[in-house]
Amino acid sequence: MRRTLWAAALLGPPLAVSLVLFVGPLVYLFHVSLHEASQSELYGPGPTLANYAAILADPFYLTIIKRTLGTAAWILGLALLVGYPVAYFVALLPPRRRALVTLALLFPLMVSNVVRAYGWVAILGRRGVINTSLRDLGVIDAPLDLLFNQEAVVVGLLTILLPYMVISIANTLAALDRRYEEAAQALGAGPLRTFLHVTLPLSTPGVASGLLLVFLLTLSAYVTITLLGGPRSKLLVSLIFDSVVSFQWPLAAALAFTLLAIALALTGLILLVLRPQRVQGRG
Amino acid sequence: MRWGAWIRGLATALAFAVILCPILVVVLAAFSPTDYFVFPPPSLSLRWFAEFFRLDNMRNAFLLSLELALSSACIAATLGTFAALHLARRKGWVAAVLQALFLAPLVFPTIILGLALLLLYKSVGMPPLPGLILAHCVVGMPYCFRTVLGSVQSLDPALEEAGQSLGAGPLRTLFLVTLPLVWPGVLSGWLFAFIVSFGELNTALFLTGPGVTTLPIEIFSYLQFQGSQLVIAAASTLQIALIILMVAGIERVVGLGRIIRSR
Amino acid sequence: MSADAPDVRLEKARKTFGAVVAVDDIDLAIGRGTIFSLLGPSGCGKTTTLRLIAGFEQPTSGEVFIRGRRVTDVPPYKRDFSMVFQSYALFPHLSVADNVAFGLRMRRVGRADRAAAVKEALALVKLDGFADRFPRQLSGGQQQRVALARAIVVKPAVLLLDEPLGALDKMLREEMQVELRELQQRLGITAVFVTHDQEEALTLSDRVAVMRDGVIEQEGAPRAIYEKPLTEFVAGFLGASNFFDGRIAARDGAAAVVETKGGAVRVAHAAGAVGDQVRLAVRPERVRLLRPGSEGIVAQVRDIVYRGSVTHYYLDGAGGAILAYSQNASPGASAWAVGDAVACAWDAESGVVVTPDRRP
Ligand SMILES: Nc1ncnc2c1ncn2[C@@H]1O[C@H](COP(=O)(O)OP(=O)(O)OP(=O)(O)O)[C@@H](O)[C@H]1O
Ligand SMILES: [Mg+2]
Repeated sequence: MRRTLWAAALLGPPLAVSLVLFVGPLVYLFHVSLHEASQSELYGPGPTLANYAAILADPFYLTIIKRTLGTAAWILGLALLVGYPVAYFVALLPPRRRALVTLALLFPLMVSNVVRAYGWVAILGRRGVINTSLRDLGVIDAPLDLLFNQEAVVVGLLTILLPYMVISIANTLAALDRRYEEAAQALGAGPLRTFLHVTLPLSTPGVASGLLLVFLLTLSAYVTITLLGGPRSKLLVSLIFDSVVSFQWPLAAALAFTLLAIALALTGLILLVLRPQRVQGRG
Repeated sequence: MRWGAWIRGLATALAFAVILCPILVVVLAAFSPTDYFVFPPPSLSLRWFAEFFRLDNMRNAFLLSLELALSSACIAATLGTFAALHLARRKGWVAAVLQALFLAPLVFPTIILGLALLLLYKSVGMPPLPGLILAHCVVGMPYCFRTVLGSVQSLDPALEEAGQSLGAGPLRTLFLVTLPLVWPGVLSGWLFAFIVSFGELNTALFLTGPGVTTLPIEIFSYLQFQGSQLVIAAASTLQIALIILMVAGIERVVGLGRIIRSR
Repeated sequence: MSADAPDVRLEKARKTFGAVVAVDDIDLAIGRGTIFSLLGPSGCGKTTTLRLIAGFEQPTSGEVFIRGRRVTDVPPYKRDFSMVFQSYALFPHLSVADNVAFGLRMRRVGRADRAAAVKEALALVKLDGFADRFPRQLSGGQQQRVALARAIVVKPAVLLLDEPLGALDKMLREEMQVELRELQQRLGITAVFVTHDQEEALTLSDRVAVMRDGVIEQEGAPRAIYEKPLTEFVAGFLGASNFFDGRIAARDGAAAVVETKGGAVRVAHAAGAVGDQVRLAVRPERVRLLRPGSEGIVAQVRDIVYRGSVTHYYLDGAGGAILAYSQNASPGASAWAVGDAVACAWDAESGVVVTPDRRP
């Protein structure tokens, strides 16, 4: 009796917070998404799938969804391409140096994204470091438009999220038993084939978690996207904010769940393709 | 594989350059004496920091962010520790579901959480500041939960049993045995909750209102509506400085390795 | 290259890690088709020696040859060997069949030949029907067999095994020792086997090298190593030994009489002149207990431990403790009781003069 009371006292408060402030609001949000808009209230009559139907029928939304996926694909691809070799480099460092480098990767993650995005504005903007330097060198007369395009969004988000990728993969690689690589070499595999057949497959858990983190954070990075992409490079998350600003609550809710569906679908896809779980369990 | 080593070294140098450059540029710009950032700056000055504290909006946002981060981190650390203590030694599907629930906000798109909370708050008439504190509490709790869970699980269960076998009830065992051993985990979880709250954008975007604005959101709206002025660089630099201060302080108490592990 | 040229040869091979000399100028030649064991206490350099042969470590100085080819600077994957690791290092993301096929794939063996060879190798280690399982779905003993199959399927010139049976329990280990030996004989592979279990080394090997502090103290056939240890360390490390200090009192050709504290004993082979100090090693099972007054070293029974097939007698002699094993060949109580005075005797061939230990 005392024990259950004790257990309930420990679990109760955090569970209540989780249910009331996390699960509950999401259920409510879904509820709202199933209703028509209203001028005076939060939402009008329902239930209806009209909001979802409107999103899927509107070529504008579909374009934005495509752009969102395209931007995410660029970011994920580049993050993997740059992040993997960096992670390999970090994983091979001796433990103390690895801890220091990991800290150097963690520190930027602690700095607010708005600050880091502003850093890119200060570099790429019309009065940014690049433009003023080039003008002072006499290379250009008029400032270049480096900001407010998809490339700026990709570069900005890539550099903001890259540490997640590196740390995820580096942790997996550092924990990898070096004997697997030696066993491959003992069986005649050279460095390249050892990497392709053994190291790379065994690091899929890190790759998968890095990809997932970067992808999910890309989806909700409204501030970075707005500051670097401007009004012409909007992504799905920008539309959610826009509909909130124009008080279209049910539409905003439906867009949010569209975003969530995309997140879930891609999470499933990444896990299905990489199958990180097959590496778990030691041989 | 010589070229393999070259690729790795080159990629690492490049990655660190693009990751750290924007932050360095911001810090450098904050000390500019000029109206606009010129590179390299002709001299250094504190003019923009003075400007920052002269602006009521900025100063208030900074203080509010501080208050928000402190209070939400304390609540999050308490709740996260409760949950971790409860789940650390439990198995089975209920425990697995609960653990997934407590960790979920870590990967859940926070922009959706922000919108959902906004709607909830609107329908119950929640005032902005408590609403923000609770939102950041939800966002910060998983960090504390994870670090404390790790700390408790790496603890020898025999220690707690020894405490109980010596006649200490669950509460006294908690205070006399468990907490003294896991408090570094609690502290680093608290640190992360603080840092996350201090820089958080996605829920704050929806939940801040007139007069109740966090520093990151103030920086964002300033950038959007007043353009790129160097007072923002000063604000950003203060943000970074506070984080460095916090990490250094906690590092002295619990050690670097623990902060890195608890990420 | 003749058929009995050594398959593995180390020439003054040396490996240092900072200030630690892990392998100290070792010379080694391992003949074709033999099982060669490296035996020694923990940290003596066995694994390092094996890794020098494999190429995972580069010798600080000296040379490595496999099948007469100098491979000192050749990377591991271009050397003709395969290896069974202590923790097996089976690839967790590959099935049993794919694990076994790995080496063949790296050698670009065609799909059909590969499948046939894998099937054959799995049959050899009695794992037919396990091809589609994953390593985590196997018991320790089965994983061990897969590791073995993976290593032998590529028909290497040399098979290296680093304590491959260390993780198995005693019963399974003894079973695997026999199977390993059979398999090696059938395939005629040259094998280098690292172990710190002396019984395993004696059971399994054609030749044994006893290592200590990076140096090979003695190398030879198991019987020679056991019965004719050259040093006190080897005599003590392989099985138990009694040691007696004495002085050569008289000589007769190779034989000699050694005067010890407890009495004089005959020794069949002893170098040295009359008056030299020597140390004798005598195996406990060679010590016979006789009635007091008989020729031999005088002692008193301190303790008797019944061990089933043998009885251990702990005796106090004039020169120190003596241990004697007596086969329980017939039923009935022990011939001696605690406190009895006895005389300890052994054949002149059983007392071996050994180099005393360098260390105190
Ligand atoms: N990579 C290394 N770096 C530094 N020292 C090493 C390294 N590998 C081995 N050593 C040292 O070299 C010596 C021999 O090690 P080795 O692993 O060969 O011993 P071993 O005989 O295999 O021991 P065990 O039976 O415990 O496996 C030890 O003192 C060890 O500490
Ligand atoms: Mg070893």
